Amino acid sequence: MTMAQSALDAITAVLAAHPLGGMWFSAVVRFLFPALAVLILARAIRGLLKIPHTPETWGQLSLPNGAPIPLTHWENIIGRNKTADVLLTYPSISRQHAALCRGEAGDWTLYDLGSRGGTKLNGEAVVSSAPVKMGDTITMGGVPLIFLPQTVGEREDLERRRKAERPAAIWPSFLWLTLFQVLACLQLIVAEGTEVSAALPLTFLGLTAVMWIYYAVLRATKCVGFEMETIAFFLSTLSLSITASSAPQSLPKQFIAVVLGLGLFLLLGLSLRDLSRVQKLRWFSAAAAIGLLGITLVLGSRVFGAKNWIILGPLSFQPSELAKICYIFAGSATLERLFRRRNLTLFIVLTGVCIGCLGLMSDFGTAAVFFVTFLVIAYLRSGDFATLGLICGAAVFGAGIIVKFKPYILSRFATWGHAWQNASVGAAYQQTRTMSAAASGGLVGMGAGNGWLHRVPAGDTDLVFGMLCEEWGLVIAVLAVVSIVTLAVFAVRACRVGRSSFYIIAACAAGSLLVFQTCLNVFGSVDILPLTGVTLPFVSNGGSAMMSAWGLLAFLKATDTRENASFAIRRGPGRKLTEEARRRTEPVRDDEFRREEDRHEEN
Amino acid sequence: MRKIERRAFVCLVLAGLLLLGLTFFAGEFLIKGGSWASSAFNRHLYNNDGVLTSGTVLDRDGDVLSSVDEDGNRTYYQNETVRKATLHAVGDLQGNIGTGVLNAFADKLTGYDLVNGAFSAHQGNTMYLTIDARYNYEAYQALNGHAGTVAVYNYKTGEILCMVSAPSYDPLNVPTDILDNDRYKGAYLNRFLSSTFTPGSVFKTVTAAAAIEKLKDYDTRTWTCEGSVKIGDDTIICSGTHGEETFAQALANSCNVAFAEMAVELGADTLASYTDKAGLTNSYSVSGLPTAKGTFNFDGITDDQLGWAGVGQFHDAVNPCALMVYMGAIGNGGSAAVPKLILKTRDNLGLPASLNLTHHTRRLISAKTADVLSELMANNVIATYGTDRFPNMDICAKSGTAEVGSDQRPHAWFAGFLRGDDAPYAFVALVENGGGGASVAGTVAGRVLNVIVNGY
Repeated sequence: MTMAQSALDAITAVLAAHPLGGMWFSAVVRFLFPALAVLILARAIRGLLKIPHTPETWGQLSLPNGAPIPLTHWENIIGRNKTADVLLTYPSISRQHAALCRGEAGDWTLYDLGSRGGTKLNGEAVVSSAPVKMGDTITMGGVPLIFLPQTVGEREDLERRRKAERPAAIWPSFLWLTLFQVLACLQLIVAEGTEVSAALPLTFLGLTAVMWIYYAVLRATKCVGFEMETIAFFLSTLSLSITASSAPQSLPKQFIAVVLGLGLFLLLGLSLRDLSRVQKLRWFSAAAAIGLLGITLVLGSRVFGAKNWIILGPLSFQPSELAKICYIFAGSATLERLFRRRNLTLFIVLTGVCIGCLGLMSDFGTAAVFFVTFLVIAYLRSGDFATLGLICGAAVFGAGIIVKFKPYILSRFATWGHAWQNASVGAAYQQTRTMSAAASGGLVGMGAGNGWLHRVPAGDTDLVFGMLCEEWGLVIAVLAVVSIVTLAVFAVRACRVGRSSFYIIAACAAGSLLVFQTCLNVFGSVDILPLTGVTLPFVSNGGSAMMSAWGLLAFLKATDTRENASFAIRRGPGRKLTEEARRRTEPVRDDEFRREEDRHEEN
Repeated sequence: MRKIERRAFVCLVLAGLLLLGLTFFAGEFLIKGGSWASSAFNRHLYNNDGVLTSGTVLDRDGDVLSSVDEDGNRTYYQNETVRKATLHAVGDLQGNIGTGVLNAFADKLTGYDLVNGAFSAHQGNTMYLTIDARYNYEAYQALNGHAGTVAVYNYKTGEILCMVSAPSYDPLNVPTDILDNDRYKGAYLNRFLSSTFTPGSVFKTVTAAAAIEKLKDYDTRTWTCEGSVKIGDDTIICSGTHGEETFAQALANSCNVAFAEMAVELGADTLASYTDKAGLTNSYSVSGLPTAKGTFNFDGITDDQLGWAGVGQFHDAVNPCALMVYMGAIGNGGSAAVPKLILKTRDNLGLPASLNLTHHTRRLISAKTADVLSELMANNVIATYGTDRFPNMDICAKSGTAEVGSDQRPHAWFAGFLRGDDAPYAFVALVENGGGGASVAGTVAGRVLNVIVNGY
């Protein structure tokens, strides 16, 4: 460490002696950064938007005329409705007739969804549900279907097609990102001058190392893809440089947060592999969400008006960030569960408790994030506009009552839309500084470390979009937001090829949460919305926020069903189906056959 | 799955809103970025005292009005009177004079641009103003300590040659009693751009334009002035007893009786539409600085009020810049160039750093009427003000003595233009509580025009 520091001091001394060198370096690299960002992100964004791909297939239903219908999910709705996964346009079949669901162990269950024509399994009526085996005949409204595995030819053809869609190699993006990190680090050293600490190059080096180790380890398990990780690592790099500019002493902390976030991402992704385990964990995570918020309410400290920090000696963290992950975990549900429990009561209770706690902490920004996430999950689960409309109405009414008793809350919104006329007051003070600093950056930025917005309170958290514009320029700031939008669009497009509704609800919820939080942060900082004080995912300086963003990314990773694209998806079940199909067609070996015959003759 | 996929459009709606908002922000950024950056708290352009750290302001022939020395301190012209005379054009160090270029054009002065932001702002640009320090000096001296404003501009190119607003003060030596002492009342205001005043008789140029077009026999009729006339419930008082007079004589005499009768005959609606047409209720953009809109009240007024309004009293209030542009339009055959303050901007390589196009007003008066009115205004000088006060000038003018209350001396106005391609200048001079228009304001205008046209 001391060696690194003395080497760095030597370099900065040379730079201080030749200020023109540093100036020219900054003047050139500031145009390189946007170009590099495009090179890094274009591949990742294109890859994520190519979804949906050829879906996985888990079996098929054979129609009376012999035509097979593939089952592309673990949960398939069969019916006459256009939104059915298995569309059967027979008049005797109900709009939503039955469901065929695959368990974790490869066992299948048939559910009758209150159909008019009734469902029969091998001639026997199915009351609510019944286990199904390959080869069984399912009769729906008098239409007989045979539930069959795919043949070897079909399996191999499918695997060939899926392999052909293999995602483009991502290592060029990683290489560009490495160059980006090196140049960003140098630019920060130039900007900070002789004051700079060795922690700066070491944390950047650490980030680069962690990134390549992650890549190497996952490549060793034949993983491809890495688009989401590219985006997350890119944004984390921006976060490190923002931190280096605003609070250099926090750099090691922010780096550790990235490592812990990556760990959480891996852990959560791996635990999401097993759907039956996930089901059991839901209750636990609901309890954890309430627990985390409850503890904060009791032990929390007030920072910038919201009592949402827990400070333990030198450590401080925001449990509400991790509660977001638990909340989505608890809120998502499999189709099976959606059949059994149609109403949202328990989920509404959980939401009420969470938002209540946040309200008591006066953390209205996070409360709004929870509420929007609730609306997304609830709508995905129930599709019930009317109920959600009522809930929204009730929320507005509730907010009205709160404002009536605590009118000072409204004063936070008083300058909304008139920031420039109130440039020295409260939030408008921060917003006008944000806009002025952002405009000073132009399209390519003043250069990392050359800004002043970090001197404004919450500059590197709530106003971080302004810091991005100021030091990195509008182009990179917009690209950062666009890559977050891409994550949400990916979640929606991955629905078509998802295994279970649990995964796609969780992914859409996580994507929406990230997008809405980005809306509040970006628009709040530039007076398009009131300033509510939430962080920009992956970018803001803050350990809990960084970990939470990486954790949420695991939900998205768990919907990436491209061949070998995600560590959060078990590859075994698909492979097993092909092996089984192969075994079925293997000729019984001759000698065995003869021995068998001999035995018959002996008898 | 498909069912949930269909419901997942709500996520796309959220994503769409984020993109929409981001596009909106990017648009605002492109349009307003310069003015966002030009905030005194922006440490990329201003130092800790809120003083612009770079950029040089020069007058039209290269005299440095304000620059930055080696220590980063802002400097001004050496002569104190020139500093006072150009204060409202250049701007102060505290950011109190919003229309000064140091405050209004910080982005252009520092070389802020959308691509580079404030990256090269420490080098600064060089901005040439259209004004001439010498003309401003003369005008400020001519005002002789009175509050008021003097401006001269080229109605063909729009270049403002002289723009002075008083009271003024030395930006390097701000008076400690600036907020308390009546001497400095409204010193932060650029009266030429940002104020409106009762016009008095200079408004008769509008009433006259309406009469020329609407009263068929205006050039054969005569009016009789007996010193006052009773209209409605009120008596319109004249400055003299002019007897029987033609239209031209009535204008040269600035006869309130004749013009009040004309106003009543024309009607409030006609007068209102001619006021609008003349651009007196407009706001012009002077190199991006908005001028104050004049205000008039013609709605539901009685005949006596209309009579007073027709001679520039009652609730009439006019902006000096808008009046000067109207004068320019009369001289230029109906429309004139919109005034501008920035001649050119150069970056540190000497390359042009901003576009300074000349814009023209719409038609403020018909070409025929403009010709007639020009002759009448030339006759004003010959008959009343005296041509020898304006040597070597083909000058057309109208004076005004605007009553602003029985306890105060009237505002003195003198506005007009020179004819001919050599000196296509329109001018306005206003001396607040100065007294007689032709004598007081006419002398101020004459002195400035003399320097511009004759060089002495």
